[in-house]
Amino acid sequence: MNFVIPDFYPAAAELFVVAMSFVVLMTGTFLQNSRSLSYYLTQFTLLGAAVVTVYTMDGQVTLTFTNMYVDDLMGDFLKLMVYLSVAVVLLYSRSYIGDRRIESTEYYMLVIYATLGMMVMIAANHFLTLYLGLELLSLSLYALVATQRDSARATEAAMKYFVLGALASGLLLYGMSMLYGATGSLELSRIAQAIYHQGGDKTVLMFGLVFVVAGLAFKLGVVPFHMWIPDVYQGAPTSVTLLIASAPKLAAFGMAMRLLVNGLFELADQWQSMLMFLAVLSIALGNIAAIAQPNLKRMLGYSGISHMGFMLLGLVSGVVEGDRHFALNAYSSAMFYVFSYVLMTLAAFGVLLVLSRAGFDAETLEDLKGLNKRSSWFAGMMAIVMFSMAGIPFFIGFYAKFSVLLAVVASGYKWLAVFAVMMSLIGAFYYLRVVKVMFFDEPQDSSPIATPATMRVALSLNALAIAALGLLPGWVMWICDQSMLQSF
Amino acid sequence: MLLAALVLVPFLGSLLAAVMPADARNRESWLAIAVAAGGLLMAGSLYPDVAAGQVLREELAWLPAQGLYFVLRVDGLAWVFTMLVLAIGLLVVVYARYYMSPADPVPRFFAFLLAFMGSMLGVVLSGNLVQLVVFWELTSLTSFLLIGYWHHRADARRGARMAFTVTATGGLCLLAGVLVLGNIVGSYDLDVVLAAGERVRADELYLPALVLIALGALTKSAQFPFHFWLPHAMAAPTPVSSYLHSATMVKAGVFLLVRLWPALAGTPEWTWIIGGAGVCTLMIGAFIAIFQHDLKGLLAYSTISHLGLITTLIGIGTPLAIVAAIFHILNHATFKASLFMAAGIIDHETGTRDMRVLGGLRHALPVTATLAIVASAAMAGVPLLNGFLSKEMFFAETLLVGGDTNWWMSYAALAMGVFGVAYSLRFISIFFGAPSEALPRAPHEPPRWMRSPVELLVLTCLVVGVLPGLSIEPILHVAAVATLGPAMPEYDLAVWHGFNIPLLMSTLALAGGVLLYGLLRRYLQLKERDTVPLVHRLNGAQIYENTMLRLTRGAGWLLKHLGTLRLQPQLLLLMLALLGVPLLLAGAPPAWSDSPRQGFDPLFTAIWVIGGGCAIAAAWVAKYHRLAALALVGGTGVVTAATFLWLSAPDLALTQLMVETVTTVLLLLGLRWLPPRIKAGAGQPAPGRLAWLRRSRDLLVATAGGLAMAALTYAVLVHPASDTIADFFLQNALTGGGGSNVVNVLLVDFRSFDTLGEITVLAIVALTVYALLRRFRPAPESVAIPAQQRHDVDPASAQTPAEQAGSGYLLVAGIYLRLLLPFMGVVAVYFFMRGHNLPGGGFVAGLIFSVAILVQYMLAGTVWVESHLQLRPHRWLGFGLVLACATGLGAWLFGHPFLTTHTAHVDWPLVGELHLPSAFVFDLGVFVVVVGTTMLMLVALAHQSLRAHRLPGDEAARAAPPVSGRRTL
Repeated sequence: MNFVIPDFYPAAAELFVVAMSFVVLMTGTFLQNSRSLSYYLTQFTLLGAAVVTVYTMDGQVTLTFTNMYVDDLMGDFLKLMVYLSVAVVLLYSRSYIGDRRIESTEYYMLVIYATLGMMVMIAANHFLTLYLGLELLSLSLYALVATQRDSARATEAAMKYFVLGALASGLLLYGMSMLYGATGSLELSRIAQAIYHQGGDKTVLMFGLVFVVAGLAFKLGVVPFHMWIPDVYQGAPTSVTLLIASAPKLAAFGMAMRLLVNGLFELADQWQSMLMFLAVLSIALGNIAAIAQPNLKRMLGYSGISHMGFMLLGLVSGVVEGDRHFALNAYSSAMFYVFSYVLMTLAAFGVLLVLSRAGFDAETLEDLKGLNKRSSWFAGMMAIVMFSMAGIPFFIGFYAKFSVLLAVVASGYKWLAVFAVMMSLIGAFYYLRVVKVMFFDEPQDSSPIATPATMRVALSLNALAIAALGLLPGWVMWICDQSMLQSF
Repeated sequence: MLLAALVLVPFLGSLLAAVMPADARNRESWLAIAVAAGGLLMAGSLYPDVAAGQVLREELAWLPAQGLYFVLRVDGLAWVFTMLVLAIGLLVVVYARYYMSPADPVPRFFAFLLAFMGSMLGVVLSGNLVQLVVFWELTSLTSFLLIGYWHHRADARRGARMAFTVTATGGLCLLAGVLVLGNIVGSYDLDVVLAAGERVRADELYLPALVLIALGALTKSAQFPFHFWLPHAMAAPTPVSSYLHSATMVKAGVFLLVRLWPALAGTPEWTWIIGGAGVCTLMIGAFIAIFQHDLKGLLAYSTISHLGLITTLIGIGTPLAIVAAIFHILNHATFKASLFMAAGIIDHETGTRDMRVLGGLRHALPVTATLAIVASAAMAGVPLLNGFLSKEMFFAETLLVGGDTNWWMSYAALAMGVFGVAYSLRFISIFFGAPSEALPRAPHEPPRWMRSPVELLVLTCLVVGVLPGLSIEPILHVAAVATLGPAMPEYDLAVWHGFNIPLLMSTLALAGGVLLYGLLRRYLQLKERDTVPLVHRLNGAQIYENTMLRLTRGAGWLLKHLGTLRLQPQLLLLMLALLGVPLLLAGAPPAWSDSPRQGFDPLFTAIWVIGGGCAIAAAWVAKYHRLAALALVGGTGVVTAATFLWLSAPDLALTQLMVETVTTVLLLLGLRWLPPRIKAGAGQPAPGRLAWLRRSRDLLVATAGGLAMAALTYAVLVHPASDTIADFFLQNALTGGGGSNVVNVLLVDFRSFDTLGEITVLAIVALTVYALLRRFRPAPESVAIPAQQRHDVDPASAQTPAEQAGSGYLLVAGIYLRLLLPFMGVVAVYFFMRGHNLPGGGFVAGLIFSVAILVQYMLAGTVWVESHLQLRPHRWLGFGLVLACATGLGAWLFGHPFLTTHTAHVDWPLVGELHLPSAFVFDLGVFVVVVGTTMLMLVALAHQSLRAHRLPGDEAARAAPPVSGRRTL
């Protein structure tokens, strides 16, 4: 048992973020009126982390910290996307949180720690690392939801999120402990080996798997672990909702890949059938429930449930009757789906943030009425997002749905593909209702929209990216393919 | 790159048009004309290759990983459609230049129109089915934008929404169908799919694929029962109606059916689905068209009917029927586009499209009237015009399909012919009679160039009608060969075939139509009638609106009845799911007799009965009596500790016991500040049977959960254990760490870095609790003195806590514990010292010491304790951490890694040899930090009571005597 100094190089980005978090904390503690500085420092942290990640990216699978930690291409790309989305979230929410007096160094600290948590989740090769990252993320998010302490709704949302989240963490932990009991290891690759060699009785393994999948499903927010989503999306300040709705999905995807593909690939048949069940329920419930929502944040919550269900379809079509050569395409399509979902969510909530001002939160369909008359540019951007979410061609959302469907069909679950398409039809209904309301209804208030130029530009770029990547989805697809190819 | 340019140029034109200024009407139109004409030239240059039967392909990488290539492919059929799209497009653009008012935002119009042209070309030229669907949806999208172009009008908005919902929905069905089809064939490439017809028809998924693709095609081509969107789409500007909703976009559906004919047709399913929809549509469309009052409405229903005719031909599916279908697609595009344009001119000139108002227009618009009359004659199927030829072929096909016995299709065709003549007459009637007085505007002939597209189209109708062999035959041949290949039939496009049954049918239709029109005019008051007889209940739009409404309401209902906003049912659901699902997945449990067992021990069982009882009782009273619940939870903790002891884990037992004690005491202190329970007031109903049921259910769920956990734990425990690291520690504790208490050696030596981290966390937690409580203000309702102390007879109620400690009812207990303090200190030191070899250690000792001080606080009160003891928990924390770190750093001085332990053996007088490893100092650090942490939290809590008592004004003076030397923390 000799102590070896671990290789810090693969975790350079995480270490950088940790170091920067201390800098932000210290400046926030000792400088008066440091909110602006904290903001810029946080953005610098994300940028720096991106630079470090790109600089240390070598396409190899590198393990470090006694195999608790892995650095591979999939992780790198997911992390880069996390930085990007968190940076965009901060950019969008700056004036919002400024107006509501919740902008503070603590706010930025929590965001940094949430980011760090996501990075750790993505890079975990060990149950403990994974859990550590998950909790770091979750606890930061619970606190962020409750930032607006005077709002009863936010408090209720935070409380629900916390209780259900704690339950889910407990389930995950319980599942992990059972898997440990069955395999004798907490390290994902060792677990995979142990299961491979073990054979025979899988009862304990199965139980462990159920609990792990339950915990995972909670993070992804799929039925029946979705209950927190609508409440939290609606109750939290929009800026926080945006954060919860975007980057953590990437981390949850990373976690799913690590847990299920890295660790439990031998049990693919079992978890695929579980995930398929969850996916079907989520797509159905998400789409149907979204129709009945007059509140946009809630609607986007339900839509997110169905999107995550759709993403799961990619994960369930990897292994067909023991044949694994579909896996690469299936998983990369799921990754593509998450990427595009995050892009779309950012833009959708971005528009809501643009429309909100001091003392007024834009969150219902009413608030979007006649947006075209107030600002046809933003209405156009929102229309792009809605079309893309509905899966109409030439937007990125179409390719996301399409590549997942291709994977599903290739794996032989044709009824599943047809079902998913039918449900997307229902889904198209409520997205198009938003478009209708924006373009065809009379505005309720015709006050001009005042937005900082940076946000205007960023939001436009975001929406245009959805359109542009819809025209040229090839290279995003290439990134996803390469990630899967190099990492598994 | 010619094909790519063909598709790309309209999109580029669209972008260019979008950025032009709003008043650049002429420049916009010139741009659009240039795009259409250029496209026409490019496409025209392909004719020699196409006529030679070649298939031109261009491929671009699209999503190569998914095996998808962007394929553009032109064969005869695609070429003919390309020419159709571009030629009609050119005419429509010219027409639109004059039609659009200068007040309209023209850039938007031309941008959308060109984008549509591009997407339609994309549909036609796609050599890949998925790519075809993509462009297909794009045509729906541009159609939506164009219908809603005048979005200030409610009918335009409604029409646009309806058209989009129906066609985009169909498009998604098509996508699903294409995916299934591609999966059957193994490729999405059109050439491969077309060549795999046999395999497709034999596949078990043929029917689903067919139904889904048919749904896409039928919605797009406005076939029954999805026909309702087309009349509502007439809210679009007339050039749009003429281009999209008669000549091109609605033809996309039938185009697709013709395109996939080699792959899908030739089965009874095909005939029934496609042909059935077609026959229904052609009858209903033609019938309803007669009763329209809106010019464009009439044309829309007529379009539906003609599309039905084409669909029926495709459904019949014989090679000759396909030729007829393609022929009629071209003919219909020509005469219907010209009719729409004529209707647009009439609307433009008179300001109305209402046939009840219009009349006698031949006086004011002689040229337009002539053109429209010729075009509607072609629509009615009058000989020497193009409509006649294809209708003749249609009649012949219906006769063939039925054979000698089954005539129903011929009857339907005849009925459609009769209705067609009737509505054509209705359309023409606006030109005859006395000039109407009620027109909003006095009509004049339109500008020459606005009329010229109509002239050109009508001329085509005539030329094709008179000289079919010379004009249309080669083009039709190119298209038909591309579709039918070797199955190409013999046919003859002549005006005169001699006397035969089709000609008889045409004659009957003409005569019957004239008769019907006359009858209807006379007896049914055609002009005044608002509803369509017989089928007026068959209102697709109404059904559509109802469906949408139901969907919204249904979703709301579902959510209301199946969803919940309350946390408790959510948790319950989760728990039930987790209890149920694993049982489904796991197999039968192992037989009871196989499992290893322990001997039954009554004493041990008794301990556990107590523990279980405590747990259940705690849950029972948790809501009503927090103090009791807390005490009971403490009881379960003690039982756990006893179990550890029983199973020979004294270390664990000791730690558990101390942790239990400290947490119970801290909770006890915190309990004071919880708000009181909300009492069931008069307004609330007393808990009845329902509440009882609910609680029983919860009890059951909780019990099941507990049992499940126990069962799982058991399963893991009896599972063959794998190698653990425990052996290593057991072997090396004494030799490597110099102690026989493995747990302690583990904590302070082997894993001392972890322990350092843990105590740091402890310190942080303590500081956080302190920071949080420093600004804590208890809720107003929990500020008051507790009820027990408020008793007037109780002398203690008048005393401050400090006075109570000296004379109150806690005197005896207080003195006892004061006396016990040094003893407990000694016990703590004892446990600390022996920790390395026997159960004990810094952590346990720290807890014991903390408890000693805690009880002083509890019994003597904060003020008294702090006036007699100078506790500075912050310093304890700091000192402990420094001590631990210093031990670690000390190892560095001697050239060892951080926290390496050195064991020294010191001979002390009296005591003897003392075993003194450096880990001992580290353990001391742990001890100090634990004491500091507990004290800091305690002090923070205790000071709440001081602060709270000060709040009510009158008590403030007595409750807080000036205590010298007490530090305000």
